[in-house]
Amino acid sequence: MNSIYNTHINFSGIDKSFGHNQVLHDSALEIKSGECILLCGKNGSGKTTLLRIIAGLEVPDSGFVNTGLGKYTWNKCRRQLRHSSVYLHQQPYMFDGNVISNLNFSLQQKLSNRQRSERIKSAIAWAGLENIAENSAKTLSGGERQRVAITRAWLRDPEILLLDEPMTNMDHDSRLRTIELLLNLKEQGVALVVSSHDPVHFEALTDTWLQLSEGRLHGFSASDNITPIHYKKHLHELTK
Amino acid sequence: MDESTSITVDALNLLFSGDAELWAIIGVSFQVSSTAIFISVPPALVIAFFLAYADFPGRRLLISVFNTLLAVPAVVIGLTFYLLLSRQGPFGDWRLLFTQSAMIMGQAALCFPILVAMGHAAFQAIDKRAWETARTLGAGPIRAFYTVMKEARFGLLAALFAAFGRIIAEVGASMMLGGNILHYTRNIPTAIALETSKGEFSQGIALGLVLIMLAFALNTSLQYFQGKGHTTN
Repeated sequence: MNSIYNTHINFSGIDKSFGHNQVLHDSALEIKSGECILLCGKNGSGKTTLLRIIAGLEVPDSGFVNTGLGKYTWNKCRRQLRHSSVYLHQQPYMFDGNVISNLNFSLQQKLSNRQRSERIKSAIAWAGLENIAENSAKTLSGGERQRVAITRAWLRDPEILLLDEPMTNMDHDSRLRTIELLLNLKEQGVALVVSSHDPVHFEALTDTWLQLSEGRLHGFSASDNITPIHYKKHLHELTK
Repeated sequence: MDESTSITVDALNLLFSGDAELWAIIGVSFQVSSTAIFISVPPALVIAFFLAYADFPGRRLLISVFNTLLAVPAVVIGLTFYLLLSRQGPFGDWRLLFTQSAMIMGQAALCFPILVAMGHAAFQAIDKRAWETARTLGAGPIRAFYTVMKEARFGLLAALFAAFGRIIAEVGASMMLGGNILHYTRNIPTAIALETSKGEFSQGIALGLVLIMLAFALNTSLQYFQGKGHTTN
């Protein structure tokens, strides 16, 4: 599972409108393995849309992707985007059945039952899900759901993990556990793109802050020595 | 013993004594209706899924068409297929009229809109995140479709039972397309109609009891599965 990724994907010229409302305008983004991008913006600013475009789930009006092998239209790269990324909804969907069967879903069909069982066992240990492994996945709390969803994504071995407001309705303890899992994923080389309206929770995780306002992305990196408090001031100035 | 009681006793005797003619009629009914359901389910579920999940021009019109077809009487379906399959019709050369194949075609046409309309409602009740989650976790379109079907299984099962209940009890299309030929196209509802017109009520009541027991069995199974679903959610 300790795979070393070498992901470097550039998105450029991403446009997306819903009717007359242009939510993304010529947006550009660079995703690297082992780095975390925090995507901030008001409700309805297009954060979710951008994440879904990166995941290959939402079709942009236009956009280009460069995976290192050349610059192609988004449509040509859609299959690759779907293959390399996992998108987690704000409230992750759990399939009918227990936690184990949900984890089992991510594993490749060709694996034997023994291999499946070993991988699930290691995933449960990795995320500390021992107490809820046999529970019905539909009855889990918000925090537990998020941890199961991250573990399910981890089993898929993604290069990019896209998380949409992962800390919503989570208590302090659940937040810490989730951050711990995400830090672990980052150390393994997974690229993280997290959308949130509150950057404070992700201070330990973030390398690049991106603000989405009026369809445009504005970026700051960790090397700019911007703390979440400074960043909030920047955001305030940008959105004034 | 009054007349109605003696008729009912005769009916039960026929049913439980293993009367060959009666059980042949029941056999034809199940054979024809099961084949019609078997043929209709795969395309109907795919259409239902696309109506629930895909956005394409004419989607709403198509939903309205299938909902309208729900209300078409069996006898009208029978008449339409009769005209198509009769000697003077465009498919007269196929010589299918008064065969089980013609009955299967008529019953498939009857159950198809039920499967699509109820299947569409069942798929629509499932969160769209189910499809997206399956796809983002690496499932191909077929596996993702199967996953959503599993999530919608109680609604789909209800559609299946409703469709089967509708066609096994319909008389209009079967009578017009099958011709009520003994040991070949005579099924439960056409036999009930014939026996009643002859004044032979015992066989009619025995066959009616089979339909009632079938309806009860289907509904009990549905309640059982749905109840099971609720306790796990």
